[in-house]
Amino acid sequence: MPTLTINGKKVQAREGAYVLEAARQAGAEIPTLCHFEGLEPWGGCRLCQVQITKNGWDGWKKMVVGCMFPVEEGLIVLTDTDEVRETRRVVLDLLLARCPETPLIQAMAKKYGIERTSYVPNPEPTDCILCSLCTRVCDHIEVSAISTADRGAGKEIAPPFHEPPEACIGCLACAEICPTDFIPFKTSHVSRSIWGKEFEMLRCQDCGRAHITKAQAEHHAAHRAETTGVSEEWFRYCDSCKRKRQAARFPGVPQLA
Amino acid sequence: MMNETCKVGMEQADAILEGYPHAEASLIQVLQDVHRAYNYLPCDVVAKVAETLGVPLSKVFSVATFYKAFSLNPQGDTIIRVCLGTACHIRGGGALVDEVQRLLHVAPDETTPDMKFTLKTVNCVGACAMAPVMIVGEKYRGNARAARVGGYLEQGGEDDAN
Repeated sequence: MPTLTINGKKVQAREGAYVLEAARQAGAEIPTLCHFEGLEPWGGCRLCQVQITKNGWDGWKKMVVGCMFPVEEGLIVLTDTDEVRETRRVVLDLLLARCPETPLIQAMAKKYGIERTSYVPNPEPTDCILCSLCTRVCDHIEVSAISTADRGAGKEIAPPFHEPPEACIGCLACAEICPTDFIPFKTSHVSRSIWGKEFEMLRCQDCGRAHITKAQAEHHAAHRAETTGVSEEWFRYCDSCKRKRQAARFPGVPQLA
Repeated sequence: MMNETCKVGMEQADAILEGYPHAEASLIQVLQDVHRAYNYLPCDVVAKVAETLGVPLSKVFSVATFYKAFSLNPQGDTIIRVCLGTACHIRGGGALVDEVQRLLHVAPDETTPDMKFTLKTVNCVGACAMAPVMIVGEKYRGNARAARVGGYLEQGGEDDAN
């Protein structure tokens, strides 16, 4: 287990961890927007930048992206120097120019002393910060229904050809993970729509609540049943009814009403 | 996706796909060959490429929209590229664009209804010494003047080297 010094504090980091994890463990406060524990680090938002140095480096320091820099024995990490704060301030200033009306970005910028962006605010304000969490989670569950389209100032998140994506299973993972709630969807006990595609809901056979789309259950059965050992049967009941059924299998335990 | 720009023959696409390993790494080369064969990326072919190479359609769409060299819309036989890099911009590249627009009634990234010309603006073609530059088909026109644009278009786009 490599030992690091983070803001002057000695910390034992997990083998194979990245600086961000180790620094947060040591109590350092590091803002992130594109980081998610369950996904591979991506280094897109540039907010987690920290400075590193080593004993033999003669005081020389280097700015690295915390979420993607692997921990190393003897690494000295600084997460709150003037340079680090200035770097993050510029990133937030730019983000605020892109998303001048987004509460999350406004709040984060405010923490770094920015009330209003010093750049020209986006004339067409958007809430999308292009963190790609949505496309990454969609790739992670092996659906890949959406991706980034175009580039530069016109870059956006879109399904192929801007049409309802055939591959989408309506799981709402993209909308759920979006830090700014930018991805619109509608869901009811009967149907769900997202990315312009309509989905039929499966209802729990016990309580009648809709809990998953038919397409998602089918996707699971077709691609995941083998690795998870969970068959399509599993989706016949909703999570809370499944728990009740499980509990009923323990004799002698008082049942909740 | 099901508009008229999709309906194309698949023979050329099949032949192209045959020549490459069916893997993600072949994607850009396949798209380049498809673009050369059809003069754009028809969406049916894009879907076919995705399926054959085993790459999600969304990823292929992402690549196809990322590079300026790819177009998802049918393009004219001759592509007019007007450079608007710094040097060309200063020496009147904008006037060249205006003149092409006046003659052909198309805005940048648009194609004439007879499918003869597509107008594009580009950021730099690396020929700043002969600014302003416009390229008609394969032919580079240095020190271009708006008054001569009509002549450039009439003379067509064959490269002198050919």
